[in-house]
Amino acid sequence: MTRRTSEAVPLIALVGPPNSGKTTLFNYLSGQNYKTVNYPGATVEYSISKLQSKFNLKADVIDSPGIVSLTPVSPDEKVSVDALYNHPKLGVPDVLIATVDSSQLSRHLFLIKQLIASGFRVVVAVTMVDLLNKKGYDISTSELSKQLGCEAVKIDGRTGKGIFELIRQVDKVLVQSRISGKPHLKPYNDISKENLLNIYKEIEKIEEAALVKLNSRSSGFDLTSANSQLTVLNTAITKRNGRNKPDEFTLKLDRILLNRHSGLLFFFLIMSALFTSIFWLAEPLMELVDESFAFLAEFTTDALGHSWYSDLLANGIITGTGSVLVFLPQIIILFLLLGLLEDTGYLSRGAMLIDKPLSKIGLNGKSFVPMLSGFACAIPAMMAARTISNKRERFLTIFIIPLMSCSARLPVYALLLAFLIPGEKSWIGGLALASIYILAIASSIAIAALMNKFNHKIVKEQDTSSFILELPAYRMPKPSVIIANTYQSAKLYLQKAGPVILTFSIVLWFITYFPDHNPQVETEGLSEDEIVLLLSGERLANSYAADLGKLIQPFMEPVGMDWRVGVALIAAFAAREVFVSSMALIFKVTGDEETLQQSMLSAMRSAEIGDTGQLLFTPTTITGLIIFFIFALQCLSTVAVARKETGGWRIPVLQLVMFTGLAYLMMFITVNGLRFWGIP
Amino acid sequence: MKSANEIGFGEVAVIQDVDVSHPSSRRILEIGFTPGQEIELINKSIFNDPLAFSVRGALIAIRQDEAGCIKVL
Repeated sequence: MTRRTSEAVPLIALVGPPNSGKTTLFNYLSGQNYKTVNYPGATVEYSISKLQSKFNLKADVIDSPGIVSLTPVSPDEKVSVDALYNHPKLGVPDVLIATVDSSQLSRHLFLIKQLIASGFRVVVAVTMVDLLNKKGYDISTSELSKQLGCEAVKIDGRTGKGIFELIRQVDKVLVQSRISGKPHLKPYNDISKENLLNIYKEIEKIEEAALVKLNSRSSGFDLTSANSQLTVLNTAITKRNGRNKPDEFTLKLDRILLNRHSGLLFFFLIMSALFTSIFWLAEPLMELVDESFAFLAEFTTDALGHSWYSDLLANGIITGTGSVLVFLPQIIILFLLLGLLEDTGYLSRGAMLIDKPLSKIGLNGKSFVPMLSGFACAIPAMMAARTISNKRERFLTIFIIPLMSCSARLPVYALLLAFLIPGEKSWIGGLALASIYILAIASSIAIAALMNKFNHKIVKEQDTSSFILELPAYRMPKPSVIIANTYQSAKLYLQKAGPVILTFSIVLWFITYFPDHNPQVETEGLSEDEIVLLLSGERLANSYAADLGKLIQPFMEPVGMDWRVGVALIAAFAAREVFVSSMALIFKVTGDEETLQQSMLSAMRSAEIGDTGQLLFTPTTITGLIIFFIFALQCLSTVAVARKETGGWRIPVLQLVMFTGLAYLMMFITVNGLRFWGIP
Repeated sequence: MKSANEIGFGEVAVIQDVDVSHPSSRRILEIGFTPGQEIELINKSIFNDPLAFSVRGALIAIRQDEAGCIKVL
C-alpha cells in the first residue's frame, strides 16, 4: 500500500450507509483502476486509488465498508470508522464524500449528521434520484446543503452525471482546508436515546424542506399527492405518502422470493443454478486453455529436443502453470455470478431466509455471504465474516469456511473425476461433483453443530446474537461494475496464486529431475519414446523427491497409495491446485495426447505401485483422494488469514489438525471400506 | 400496547417507544425505527423469523426477539 510521504496529495474518503451507491461512485472516480482488497459479497478492507486524471484534481480516494452510524457494532464497521478518524496508513482524510440514497433520505442523513457533528468536512453525493422520482418526488440539493451546512450534489453513478460538479465542490473544500489545516475531529460519544431521537427530529425537518413533490401529471401519484397536500400539517398522515413506501416492484417480487414457502424453493433453485452454471459455462473455455498449454508444451519439447532445459520449460513451467490456469474460467464465472447476485439485492434476502436454520447451529444469517464466498476462496470469505457482530458466531463461521469447497479444489476434482468417469458420460461427472459439494456442505453443518454443542472453548465470549439487515430495493445489475470487480478478483487471485504455483512447479521439477539427471539405462531394441519413458522413470526413482517420499510412504501404504501421491499431497499444502501440477510433474506427463488432462489420465492409468504390478490409481484410491480433498485444510494462506481474523493461533491450529486428521481418517475408511466390498 | 413482532401482515402500526434495555436497541433506533414512524410487516422468513418491516421507505429484516423491543400502537 502506498505510504503518503508528503502532505501535497490530499486524501478523499468515501463514506456512506450500506446500499447507498458508494462502491459505484468509487468505481467511477477511480476509473476501475484501483488497488484493492475488494471481493464480491462485501467490501471488506479498503480500496485506494488515485482520482482519475480527467477530473483535474490530484488526490487519493479511499473506499471502505458501508456504515450505519459512527458507533460500530461489527468488525467491518469498526475498520471503516477507524479509517475515517485516523487511517492507520494514510492519516486523517482531508475531505469526505458521503453518499446518500435520496429515496432513503431520512435514514441516510443520520450518518451525515453524525459526521458533521464530529467535525468532518463533508460533501454530500446524492444518489438514486431515479428511484426517488419513481416515488413522485425530487430533491432540492440547494435546500439540502443550506439545511446541512455543507455542499450537496446530485450524481448518477451509472452515467457519471454530476460527478464533475461533485469534484468541483470537493476541490473548493480542499482549497479552504489548505488554509485552515486538517479538520479537528472529536469522537462521537453521545449515543443516548435522546440524542438519537433529536437527530432524527432534525432530519425530518430537513427532509420536509429538501424533498419536492413532482408534477403529479408526470409522476402518476395523483391521489397520494392530493392527500398529503391537504393534510400537510398532520405529520402522522403525511408519513403515509409515497416517499415512505418501499419500492413497489421490490414488494411484489419479495412476495414470491421471500415467501415462507416459495421463498425457500427459489433459494434452492438460485443456489443450484449458481453452482451448476459454474461447471457448464466454464467447460468449453477450460478445454481451450487446456489445449493451448498442451500444444505449447509439445511445441517446446519438439523445438528444443530432450534436454534438461527443455524438460524444465515444458514439464516444469508450461505444464505446471497450464494445469492450474485451466480453472481460471471457473473462478471468473463464480465471481461474475456472485457479483450479479449481490448487485441485484438478492444476497441479503438469502441471508434473511436462512438466518433461523443457521442460528440453530450457532451461526448467523450473516454467515451466508461469507460461506457462499467460501466456494470461491476461503480468504475473502473469512474477511467477509467481519460483518457478523457476535464474536462467537463470527469465529464459528470462520471455523467452517475451509469446508466450503473452494475453487482451488475444482481442478483436483476435475482430474480425479475424469479418471473415475469416462468422457462420454459427462453428466455423471456433473452429478458426482454436485454430490461432492453437498457432502461438503452437510459435513460443515454437522461440524458447526458439534462445535456449537460441545466446544465452548473456541470462543468463551457470549455476547448477544443479532440480525438486523437492510433488504435493498431490487435493481438491474450494472454489468460494468460486476465485470470490473470480477476482473479485480481474478487478477488478485492470479497475482497471489501465480508465483506460488510457478515456484512449486520449478522446485518440484528440480527434486524430481535431480540428482540422477542422466541415468544409464539399457536402450537396446527400444523405440525413442520408450527410452524417454524409461529414462524418466529411472530418474524419478533416484531423485530427491523419492528420498522425501520414503518418509511419507508409511502414511500412504494404509490408504493403498505410494509416496508419489504423498509428495503431491504435501505440495498441495502450498495451494490445493498445486496437487494437479505436481501429479503432472511426478508422472512426467508430456503432451502426446490432445489435451494435458488426457495425457495425465493415461499416465495415471498405467502407474503401478513399485514393482508389484498392482495399479496405483483405481476407483477406490481415487475416491479416497476425493474424500481427502473434501475435508483437508491444505492451504497455508487460509491458516494465516484465520490467525489474523481471529487474533490467535487457537482456531487455525485446531482447523489444521482437525480437518486434515479427519481427511486422512475418512480417506482410510473409504479406501479400506470399498476394498472390503470388493471394489478394486 | 403491543410489540412489533405481534402485528399481522398488512397491519400498519405506529412506533410508540423502543425499549433501551434490549442490547440491539441502539442499532434499531439508528437504522430508523424511531417513535412516531409507521411500520408495516412485509415478510416473514421460514419458521416466522426474521421479520421484514417497511420503515421510512426501506425494508429492514430483524429477528422476532429484536422486534419485541419495538413497542407499537
